[in-house]
Amino acid sequence: MGQSILNGLVSAALIAPPAVAFSMLFAILRFPNFAIGGYIAVGAFAAYAANLWLGLPLWLAALVGMAVAAVITWLSDVIVFRPMRGSSAVTLLVVSIALTLIIENAIRFIFGADVRGFDLPLTRPIKIAGLRITIEQIYILGITLGVAGGTHVLLAYTRIGKAMRATADNFALAEVRGINTGRVIAFTWLYCGALFGLTGVLAGLDLVIEPMVGWNLTIPIFAAAILGGIGSPYGAMLGAILVGLAEEFTTLILPSTYKVGVGFAIIAILLLLRPHGLLGTPEIKK
Amino acid sequence: MSLPLLALDHVCAGYGRGDIVHDVDLRAQAEHITTIIGPNGAGKSTLIKAIAGVVTRSAGSIRIGGEEIGGLPASEVARQGVAYVPQEANVFRSLTVMENLEMGAWILPEQKRERLDAVFTLFPTLAERRRTRAGNLSGGQRQMVAFGMALMVAPMLLLLDEPSAGLAPNMVEHMFETIQLVNQGGTAVLMVEQNAVQALQISHYGIVMAGGQVKLADRAAFLLDSEEVGELYLGAKG
Repeated sequence: MGQSILNGLVSAALIAPPAVAFSMLFAILRFPNFAIGGYIAVGAFAAYAANLWLGLPLWLAALVGMAVAAVITWLSDVIVFRPMRGSSAVTLLVVSIALTLIIENAIRFIFGADVRGFDLPLTRPIKIAGLRITIEQIYILGITLGVAGGTHVLLAYTRIGKAMRATADNFALAEVRGINTGRVIAFTWLYCGALFGLTGVLAGLDLVIEPMVGWNLTIPIFAAAILGGIGSPYGAMLGAILVGLAEEFTTLILPSTYKVGVGFAIIAILLLLRPHGLLGTPEIKK
Repeated sequence: MSLPLLALDHVCAGYGRGDIVHDVDLRAQAEHITTIIGPNGAGKSTLIKAIAGVVTRSAGSIRIGGEEIGGLPASEVARQGVAYVPQEANVFRSLTVMENLEMGAWILPEQKRERLDAVFTLFPTLAERRRTRAGNLSGGQRQMVAFGMALMVAPMLLLLDEPSAGLAPNMVEHMFETIQLVNQGGTAVLMVEQNAVQALQISHYGIVMAGGQVKLADRAAFLLDSEEVGELYLGAKG
């Protein structure tokens, strides 16, 4: 029981940062961006290359992975999404799925389809009060807590963070008040891209590095974001915890291959019962 | 008369499928409250949006203090000292009152403290409710936030689209008094109002629009006395 909660929290820690980023992008751009799988893979492989090919220590390689993912994510807006502003959310969704396939295959072309891992010494799991946890999992939990706190400080206390919320809330009014919305949007892509890159690194620590690393996380990330109320970063954090726990607890009663289905089940139930999520607000249409 | 603060010449504007405002000439003086009245669909709001840069003007010139602003995006027009308050969706609902006012001061962050004091003096209610999300305020209080946000930059010209719309009668009076106070503080006001008589009573100058064109422009007192205007636009019984 305790072990399941702990494992669930580690899963949650892995999907919380990208769920927050997915939600923040949705809040400003009003479409679900399923290219996140590609962005995450970019972060994992850029960090892998920095770690193994350039021989950088892992923390530095992680920063390289975040930086590369941030730039690629921002470029995806400049090249793909910005020229399509004003297209329907469904069109952009399909485009984003195409983009994730392109990114994944570009990675497969460069790195091959082999399963890889970072250059890390093998360590035994630590036992605390009868619970097993690896040192990597402790890092994941700690880093995600830092990301959650940092994102809160950004959104609640900084000038750019408040402008991000204002732009998401009422784009036309933000323009009227003189906010340079183009720059706010660019910053949002970069910040979210860095979070996707970080996710790639953390996934590489906990799981393995392969071109599908991000794709496999996409459904739980999406489930967490809509469970919390899409567009609400705080809701996404809560949603991630619930999805992580739900995934672990189903393995107690079902074979673990069904774990992937949990995200889908949550999405389906939620859309029937509370379409705007736990912390989201119903969209007013009139 | 001195050089007008705002000068429109031959302005046409609309939403892409044909113009709503046709060939409008307009002058607004720096020390004046100028009110645009007219029936629904006269193009009053479209005109004020064109000045704010929210709607692009398709032809003509819009100058502020002699500087051309026609064709600039809304965020640039704001930097020229023009503060526009839309009629609807004019606050950031998920932000607190304080954060809304901070966003109002976006282009002049160094003046924030000083302007905040001025806005809180004008609307003491906002000071009390500074931590409340704007979406949780009453309609009247939200209108104060919208107005206060625009005043955070001490604008040269305030553009108000139906400032009294949806307010309770006693709030309408308060809103018009506030507009007068702001004007006495040195801000020119150009507003669109359905509440034509009350608006003209506090205005120096009035403009009558119909069918996307200016039909009449004169001193507000003259428009209030004019039988023709009274019959057609002020709802007076002949």
